[in-house]
Amino acid sequence: MQRVANLSELRAKEAQAAAIEVAELSHVYLGREGKVPALEDISLDVGAGRFVVIVGPSGCGKTSLLMMMAGLRRPSSGTILCAGRSIDVPDPDRVGVVFQEASLFPWLTALENIEFPLSIRRAPRLERRRRADAMLDLVGLPGFGARYPHELSGGMKQRVSIARGLVQDPPVLLMDEPFAALDEQTRMTMGHELLRIWSQTNKTVVFVTHSLTEAVYLADEVLVMSPRPGRIIDRVEVTLPRPRTYEMMATDVFGRLRERIWQKIRKVN
Amino acid sequence: MVLAAWEWLPRWAIVNAELLPPLSDVLAMFFTILGRSQVQEAIGVTTGEVVLAFMFAVPIGAGVGVLVAESEYFGQIFRPMLFYVFSIPKSIFLPMFILVFGIGFEQKVAYAAFSTVFIVIMSAAAAVESVKADHVLVARSYGATRTQVLTRVYVPSMLPFLLEALRISMIFNFTGVMIAEMYASRSGIGQLIASWGENFQMPQLFAGVVLLAAAAIGFNETVRWLEARCSAWRT
Repeated sequence: MQRVANLSELRAKEAQAAAIEVAELSHVYLGREGKVPALEDISLDVGAGRFVVIVGPSGCGKTSLLMMMAGLRRPSSGTILCAGRSIDVPDPDRVGVVFQEASLFPWLTALENIEFPLSIRRAPRLERRRRADAMLDLVGLPGFGARYPHELSGGMKQRVSIARGLVQDPPVLLMDEPFAALDEQTRMTMGHELLRIWSQTNKTVVFVTHSLTEAVYLADEVLVMSPRPGRIIDRVEVTLPRPRTYEMMATDVFGRLRERIWQKIRKVN
Repeated sequence: MVLAAWEWLPRWAIVNAELLPPLSDVLAMFFTILGRSQVQEAIGVTTGEVVLAFMFAVPIGAGVGVLVAESEYFGQIFRPMLFYVFSIPKSIFLPMFILVFGIGFEQKVAYAAFSTVFIVIMSAAAAVESVKADHVLVARSYGATRTQVLTRVYVPSMLPFLLEALRISMIFNFTGVMIAEMYASRSGIGQLIASWGENFQMPQLFAGVVLLAAAAIGFNETVRWLEARCSAWRT
């Protein structure tokens, strides 16, 4: 109980600061024809508890940027602070990552997949089971723990992925086009589910997608990126109230926001 | 059907019983020769050769295979060479092995290991390449160490492929030992079968064939059963 109390105090402190701060980040990689600039002068702050979506054409480096926030890649220059400290190597205490489809380990059951991050850190078995079961309930899959990934539908698999990303209770959740492979209806349902989970857990979410509808529906703020070299060319505050509903998609506000992002992307293309 | 035909075609003199003895005669002979000390000794020798050759070929082949698949440097140097050698029938090297090792136990082991090692290398390299980069990334993002990535991602991904490789390698390995024994040898089941054939002792010859078939099928099915158990997750 003591630990929980401390944790929530810590959370309160973090909430005052930005959860993620990216400053003057640039990235250059070595291609066949020499140096290729991939990301250029990116600066952004993500406030604690916010839901920020990054959109942009494919190849603009949005996934690279996310991988850097996760500590999985190092930028050529610039800094990334997560919970006030720089993130040079993956730190599951601060950041959970949800990948594109098919990132679940096919040789583990749903429950074992969710337990994976805990077992990497050698958490006691009972603790692992208890946490993983709680996560299964949270993502709406109670009773599905014993299934293997190939026995689950695309949407269920991504629910398990989300559970895996949240199982260590990191303050930040990074999501790399998690619903890209799903059909339109499942995608909408999953978006809605994600918002429910987000509001229940108070996480900070950075979500990468190329779907504008998904971006506006989910986000507090949409960051629009240009084609390579990726730069942030617009920041759109989504003023729609929460909780979001499907009906909002038919409103003028929704349409105007979507249109503004589309115009930005179209112009630079 | 086949077994019944084997029994009755020679008995009804449709097939020459001298060439194909009836099944019951072969089985009777099978148990007779199993009782002979000469045969028991030969089984011992052959088993020793097969097991030892396998113990050389599998770790060496697996090591080289992983190296070739994981290291760009080694891959570029050795891959073309391995592919060339893999395509050559290994039996043409047998005379060289006799010159170097003689015709004893060592020569059988060396030749069988040599004829097996290439298929192990190929399979191990393919198994490593079957590991998904995404899965490695997931493990790393949860703070897995290099060792953990190896044991928690590489090994389970590769296991079904490795078991399959083991099964196929054993076929090559067994064949290698048999060829070496039949070509030039003083002991072993292969040598016995060759001499039974030369002396036209058909019941003994077929009994030997039954023995080898039983051993080979036994190993193959055991590994296949393991494979099925370890790859329940593969669709």
